[in-house]
Amino acid sequence: MRSMTKWRIPLSKPRLIALSVIGVALAILPLVVESPYILHLAIMALIYAALGMTFSMLFSTGLISLGCAAFYAVGAYTSALLVMKLGLSFWLALPLATMITGVIALGIGSVIVRYPGAPFVLVTLVLAVVTQQTAGQVELFGGWGGIMDIPSPSIGALQFTGKIPYYYLLLFLFGMIVLVFQALYSSRIGRAWKSIQLSDPLAKAVGINAYRYRVSAFTIASSAAGLMGSFYAHYFQTITPDITGGWVSIYIQLYAVLGGIGFYILGPALGASIMVFVPEFLRLVEEFEPVVTGILLIVLIVFFPGGILGTLQKRPRFRLANLSDRIRKIRRWISTGAL
Amino acid sequence: MSLVTAAQALLNGLLMGMIYVIVVLGLDLIVRGTRIINFAHGQVYMLGAYSFYFAYAIWHLNFWLALVVGAVAAMILGALSYIGIFSFVQRRFIAGGTMSFRLLTSAMSSVGLMMILQQGTLIAFGTGEMGIYSPFPQFIALGAVRLPAERLVAFGIGLLTCLGLYLFMFKTKLGKATRAVCFNAEVSALQGINTSQVYLLSFVVGCGLAGIAGGIAATIFSVTPTMGTHIIFMAMLVLVAGGLQTYKGIIVGGIILGQFLSFGYQLFGGLSYLYSFCLVFLIIVFRPGGLFGEVYD
Repeated sequence: MRSMTKWRIPLSKPRLIALSVIGVALAILPLVVESPYILHLAIMALIYAALGMTFSMLFSTGLISLGCAAFYAVGAYTSALLVMKLGLSFWLALPLATMITGVIALGIGSVIVRYPGAPFVLVTLVLAVVTQQTAGQVELFGGWGGIMDIPSPSIGALQFTGKIPYYYLLLFLFGMIVLVFQALYSSRIGRAWKSIQLSDPLAKAVGINAYRYRVSAFTIASSAAGLMGSFYAHYFQTITPDITGGWVSIYIQLYAVLGGIGFYILGPALGASIMVFVPEFLRLVEEFEPVVTGILLIVLIVFFPGGILGTLQKRPRFRLANLSDRIRKIRRWISTGAL
Repeated sequence: MSLVTAAQALLNGLLMGMIYVIVVLGLDLIVRGTRIINFAHGQVYMLGAYSFYFAYAIWHLNFWLALVVGAVAAMILGALSYIGIFSFVQRRFIAGGTMSFRLLTSAMSSVGLMMILQQGTLIAFGTGEMGIYSPFPQFIALGAVRLPAERLVAFGIGLLTCLGLYLFMFKTKLGKATRAVCFNAEVSALQGINTSQVYLLSFVVGCGLAGIAGGIAATIFSVTPTMGTHIIFMAMLVLVAGGLQTYKGIIVGGIILGQFLSFGYQLFGGLSYLYSFCLVFLIIVFRPGGLFGEVYD
């Protein structure tokens, strides 16, 4: 019999307050910030945060993917081609591209997920390079120049212009992804994923089909990446093979680890917003940026493997009670002449 | 495709396969010995090629001496990176953590090193291609097929390197210790093997192999800053296709992919990357652990 308890939000009060503050801040951001440049950065931060979450989702099943950007590109190209060659509307192309990316991910994932561990890491990185090379070589995908003049979406007669409508659309998509991911993590499926990550053989012994759960994680994560790719294609209106090449997949991994790899949703969000905004304001020389990032990667993983949130969590809380205790102790020292 | 071009492609493929085999043997030694997936291996190869180029073309050293300079430079780089970065990473391994976390640690740290080395090379040497004058400009004519002597020499060096690695791993005591550590580090430490020395040794030898391969590549192809990323890509394909932790698989996989890519350039042009990925994909559909490997968890 189902319990008669009231439906309740599974969050403690401070967390709920923090989350609603973040939500409201994100919602009113375009009203406060006038500069389209900052808004562009915010859009890119949201996209990269979602991509970082896909990396985290794969990591939650014990898989390390260096090819998250491959499915981002697949989504972008699929959506662009659906709109430009078949003449579909953006609102149809967005879910279709997501589904097509999911199907491709299911096909590839059902083979490569069988070898978790080193082979999976190698194959996913190769996958990103192959996607880039294929997009660059095939005439249909526009070659190395990419696809240009992708039409912007419209509702009825209202054409999307400026950054603000895109921002709200992305915020909606991002919220959907966060909700779906959080629902998965807090359900039976998410617990199965985490158990597989902790110990693959033990999870199998308990009766969890590790292979199926991993394929499902791979498919869901890749379709989310495809969704983001589809949005990006219509937002930026130009896509080149470079969106999956170079260091993109590695940056995605960095976002997830910088924020905190144990925090599947907050971690990538924090990491991506830091990595998008901070280098822009520091005005790093572009040449040296990969060098700095490389050093950051090494220092982070060797000395702070928990990321920002993980390191903060480990520290004892700062409490007033502790403070008064300390003051009392110091007073005692002084009065006994220990100092 | 005429018979002559086919023969040339066959020879090219054999040579490219040889380079892949040497690089992957080095990478596999590192992965086996230290359990670190070294993504920076391609950059070590590239720096080996650059050092060879500088030793041969700028300082006008003897060809063989220049090869040694390339290998030694790669070894020094390997030793520095092991002592500076990967020994700390291994300390994390010993501290425990799940399998996936170990993989993440090793992958991230080596990718960081890869970014630093790659961008550092770009800043230092620019994007230009550098080629050397052929040290052995003779030809050996077999009917209509012309065999450049430099390619034969390069192939011979490759074979000698493989032979040397075989002798080291199977005929010396140090090689035996390395194999024991590869098999099980804890138990071999109990048998009195200094595992931290063996870790350093396998890392340095692996990087040295990459340096030799870089020297060979520099004699035949030109030296570019992108050669490292290309080779690491192919090395991963070879490693997955042949199977991790098998010598046979690496040699067969390297030769097959070398041939495939060489003929692929003639037949499909730039798409040969995609086809070689599809080939490897097919291999792992039917042979889960690669051609000769087993499935490891």
